Amino acid sequence: MALALAFTSAASAVETSYIKDPETGIESWEWREDGVSLRLGQITPGLARGFYLARGFDANSADLFAVNCAFMAILRNESAPGKLRFNLADWRVVTSKWARPMKLDNDWQKIWQRRGVPQAARTAFHWAQLPTEHVYEPGDWNMGMLSMGLKPGERFDLHFRWQVNEHKQSGVLTNVRCAVDDR
Amino acid sequence: MIAKCRALFVLLAWLLPTEPGFAADAPSQIMTPMPGRPVARDFALPDMDKKIHHLNDARGKVALVNFWATWCPPCRRELPSMQRAWVQLRGDGFAMYAINLGEDEETIFPFILTTGVELTFPILLDRQAEVIKGWPVIAIPTTFLLDRDGRIVYRAVGGREWDDPQLLRQFRELMDNK
Repeated sequence: MALALAFTSAASAVETSYIKDPETGIESWEWREDGVSLRLGQITPGLARGFYLARGFDANSADLFAVNCAFMAILRNESAPGKLRFNLADWRVVTSKWARPMKLDNDWQKIWQRRGVPQAARTAFHWAQLPTEHVYEPGDWNMGMLSMGLKPGERFDLHFRWQVNEHKQSGVLTNVRCAVDDR
Repeated sequence: MIAKCRALFVLLAWLLPTEPGFAADAPSQIMTPMPGRPVARDFALPDMDKKIHHLNDARGKVALVNFWATWCPPCRRELPSMQRAWVQLRGDGFAMYAINLGEDEETIFPFILTTGVELTFPILLDRQAEVIKGWPVIAIPTTFLLDRDGRIVYRAVGGREWDDPQLLRQFRELMDNK
């Protein structure tokens, strides 16, 4: 049985949840409001490394991604009153010292090109990330990797935003923690 | 390494939205209309037996075209429901293609065995991920429903239960629209 905590703010109807799996130690955070949900689950460096080695990355390149605080994100337009548009470039990783964008697919692709990662592996990497921009109709959802650009074990808040129809919506997942290094 | 990959699949499956502890609404089983109903780009792709399939050969039928990969958890999860839908609709003016992204038979075949379901619709191989570039796909899985003239009428981003009555009704309405 996973440890699960849920918090609801009556004023805003925002629900946030936290789960820690007792067997794997993997932690997940979820935010829900007005028919939209965002879930983040830790990907440990060992898992990320194994995944990209199997996709044709060399060990050093796989390690480079693995120690940059990877998460699996699930973003869902469950029942919002319209299209959900997002651009990950608008999201911010906030620590006690700074606020900055996540490390996005384009940033990584430049690194992979410089390092000579094979095209097939770069293609796999691209499709494994949460897309940088997308529009989800009600009922649409998807999952993909995010990279926070932090070290294993570091904590941060993720400030995210999107539009539903023309209405801007934003939220924060607080005190999220990068997975510890298990390589 | 194989064990690590398997562990990642377990993790990813664990994160999917049915996990107890998180609030879990029933996912919406709908496809949404595609603006402008663009004509789908033709393809010529091999299946697992190296037989070439042309999309244009499905003209005159309603066609479901799905883009997927074995490492993509929602893709893995929805394939059995695609088979159940296929069993109900095949031979009735309906075609179905699952286009795998960038993997080979040696990767796909063992995965199919793990589904516990015999997939009898064509699984096509886009080895160089070239065909997908001609389609409006930003993330996988993405699935399209084409009318008899090869126009994209509906799109679904993310996994679905393809034999859900609501979706089957959507397919049949398009099939009845002669």
